[in-house]
Amino acid sequence: MSKMKMADGATILRRNRPGTKAEDFCRWPDEAYEEMDSTLAVQQCIQQLIRKDPTNIDLILKMPETLDEGVWKYEHLRQFCMELNGLAIRLQEECRPETCNQMTATEQWIFLCAAHKTPKECAAIDYTRHTLDGAACLLNSNKYFPSRVSIKESSVAKLGSVCRRVYRIFSHAYYHHRTIFDEFEIETCLCKRFTQFVTKYNLMSKDNLIVPILGEATIGESEA
Amino acid sequence: MEDNSLNHQNGVQVVKQVSAVGNNKESDEGSVKAQYSIPGILHFIQHEWARFELERSQWEVDRAELQARIAFLQGERKGQENLKNDLVRRIKMLEYALKQERSKFHKLKYGTDLQQGDMNPPAMDETSNENQLDSDQPYISVSNSTWKQGRQLLRQYLQEIGYTDRIIDVRSTRVRALLGLNNNAEQEENHNGSSLNGGESNKRPSEGQGRKPFKKERPGSLAEAMMLEAEQAVMANMEFLTNSEMEMDDDEDDIINDKDVEPMEDADDDVKTTRKKAKGDRLCSDVDAEAMEVLNELTLLFESEERNDKGEQGDWNQGYQTTIPKRPIATSGVAVNEEFTEGMDTTLGLGELAQLTVNNDAENTYDMATSKEAFRKTWNAKYTLRSHFDGVRALAFHPTEPVLITGSEDHTLKLWNLQKTVPAKKSASLDVEPLYTFRCHNKPVLCLAISGSGDYCYSGSVDSAIHVWNVPNSNIDPYDQFDPEILYTTLQGHTNAVWGLSVLSSKQQLLSCSADGTIKLWMPHSEVPLLNTFTSEQDGVPSSVDFIRDHPVQIVAAYNSSHSIIFDAETAKPVVRLESGQEQANAPNKMINKIVSHPTLPLTITAHEDRHIRFWDNVSGQMVHSMVAHLDAVTSLAVDPNGLYLLSGSHDCSIRLWHLDNKTCVQEITAHRKKFDESILDVAFHPSKPYIASAGADGLAKVFV
Repeated sequence: MSKMKMADGATILRRNRPGTKAEDFCRWPDEAYEEMDSTLAVQQCIQQLIRKDPTNIDLILKMPETLDEGVWKYEHLRQFCMELNGLAIRLQEECRPETCNQMTATEQWIFLCAAHKTPKECAAIDYTRHTLDGAACLLNSNKYFPSRVSIKESSVAKLGSVCRRVYRIFSHAYYHHRTIFDEFEIETCLCKRFTQFVTKYNLMSKDNLIVPILGEATIGESEA
Repeated sequence: MEDNSLNHQNGVQVVKQVSAVGNNKESDEGSVKAQYSIPGILHFIQHEWARFELERSQWEVDRAELQARIAFLQGERKGQENLKNDLVRRIKMLEYALKQERSKFHKLKYGTDLQQGDMNPPAMDETSNENQLDSDQPYISVSNSTWKQGRQLLRQYLQEIGYTDRIIDVRSTRVRALLGLNNNAEQEENHNGSSLNGGESNKRPSEGQGRKPFKKERPGSLAEAMMLEAEQAVMANMEFLTNSEMEMDDDEDDIINDKDVEPMEDADDDVKTTRKKAKGDRLCSDVDAEAMEVLNELTLLFESEERNDKGEQGDWNQGYQTTIPKRPIATSGVAVNEEFTEGMDTTLGLGELAQLTVNNDAENTYDMATSKEAFRKTWNAKYTLRSHFDGVRALAFHPTEPVLITGSEDHTLKLWNLQKTVPAKKSASLDVEPLYTFRCHNKPVLCLAISGSGDYCYSGSVDSAIHVWNVPNSNIDPYDQFDPEILYTTLQGHTNAVWGLSVLSSKQQLLSCSADGTIKLWMPHSEVPLLNTFTSEQDGVPSSVDFIRDHPVQIVAAYNSSHSIIFDAETAKPVVRLESGQEQANAPNKMINKIVSHPTLPLTITAHEDRHIRFWDNVSGQMVHSMVAHLDAVTSLAVDPNGLYLLSGSHDCSIRLWHLDNKTCVQEITAHRKKFDESILDVAFHPSKPYIASAGADGLAKVFV
């Protein structure tokens, strides 16, 4: 990854100072990716694009030319897991072990929770939380991802399984908590972005993408 | 030829060509006949002149020598004075802490407030700060090592001009004696004060009786005994302070410890023999019974305290435990006193406490600098907490356990147990995996606080909610079932981002400040949690808030206007404004990022966007010190539980540890990387264990030991 130093002494300080109002949080002028000299430039760049317009998925997923693809995928997945927290807290309100005692989407599969030593049939809400916690541990693991600027090929391979697991949260919400899913999707377009992301970078097979995406005729026909 | 012979005669080399006029014979005769020939006079004058010159230069050397000596003495005096001031201030702090403890004890025992002389906390020593008051002074002040170097150099010079070690020593003893005398005079006053306190406190009603037999043996010892008793208590108190401090670093206190503990132990035997001589068998049992009583009371005291407030008292409990065994000795202090004075080279029995410290230090001045460096604790990164997806905005330690909670812009809070580690490859630091993830905020978490018992955790967020969480057991299985009960309740009231939280564990109160312009005081566990709301129209939005720790019915808040206000917590009226007149107000870059109150002194510390840390007197509202502390905005502050050290974090990626006494930087650690223009967002001291932690915009939290 290459970084360009900013030549002029720009005086804009991009900070959320204490007392900043919620509506002004992170509301600062955009900084061009090329001008970011931080090691977290990729995250900065992705978050900046999402904040600007979460619906402009093509732009969000457009990788800067100079960047290593592994890093790009990794940072995007981090962002997805982070934003999935929004869906998880909504599910916490409604998805109870009494009603959803298994992680299912369609009736075809029961997903076993991989966070345990031997995979376990966790309730849906536990599966959701465990999967997100597990993803947080894996993606922050010093062993697999010691650096955020260069990522080993063997570690990039781990991203696929994380994608498959977290996608099940979308599918469970879609098939069992549709109102929650719709509200969340309208606000964030997260499932749509995720679907485009895994498709673009070939992280999941098309068969597994069972949540229909609005405006995408190819997948959308199965659900009325 | 002529010239040569002449030169030989006089024995002085003359350069001048004389007797160019006239022949050789004439001039020869002239010099023999009359003594006053021109060349002779000239030679004489020249000779004398050279002699004077020599003498003058010798005087000059003497003068320089003396001047060096004066400078040296002055330097030493200044050093000693600073030392003395510093120590006197410490003593005052300790006395104050003792008084507070006494009143607490009294309150617990009798249920009434104790009437003591002055319960006012000792004033900060203004004079020692005066020279540093220039607000833009760089942060590098005179450190011990440079002082030591200078001193070494001076010594060397003096040795070169034949000023031997012995003279130095003799002189330094004289200086010490002088200082000691001065101190004694001062202490006599102090001690009258403390003896009065001891007398009024009525803590041990049997004390007066118990002392009477001693009075026969040693006339006038009643007052003295009482004084000593008070001193002993202070000593004991001090000892437990040092004990808890030892881990932190302090070497001077170690010296005190060594000096004190040994005589005390010896004294135990002596006490017994003295008693026998005085036929004080009855007394002996009296004293012992009394001691036992005190002991029992104390035990009761912490049992109840432990029950009330397990968490916060952890540190203090430890201290008490070390104090108890000493009590019986302390209550029969006369013999101990003798032992002490023998041990010391100054023989004044009064004013022992301050004298002890001051003298000890004066004796060890030369070694002090070295030992200080040797004993000083250096903090090293030990644990890296990586699991957050975005910047960590806040962190808080559990009051007693090696557990902490972090709050992040990824909307979650995480619970970490530092004893459950995963060894990391190739680096010395250990990785810790989070035990629990608190999910309920749907916006970045900005601040958090843990209750004094460690049972509850409070978090404030951009989503304007304050959640109250039950802190899960620190041995919870990270992949346990979801328990909705973890979220205990939510405090509704703020209408914008909540930026600051502070807990007052003694009253179970919580303070919050929000971008909606209000500060709210909560009783999170009562039915109507909101107690009060504070606003300041002229100052706008508060940025940070804290309880005044030494005066808990007051709170202090920092505002966008870069002023701070102390409010009365009950009336919600402003009491004092902390603002410095000479500096321009409303400068946007002066804004306060964090405000903290000193745990024992009436002192407020603010961290500013303009790289400064400023210190304020809570009573007068005046700024007492200001320093450029970092290379970029200072974002976070934490004061250690003993009130001796200050930790600051900045967007310059470093955290710095400061000695609060002399405001010097003890250690700097580069801890986090930048995201946008932010780096370190929070720092914390563990309330009872030797941990410090920093939270960064890079999504990591680090713990140092």
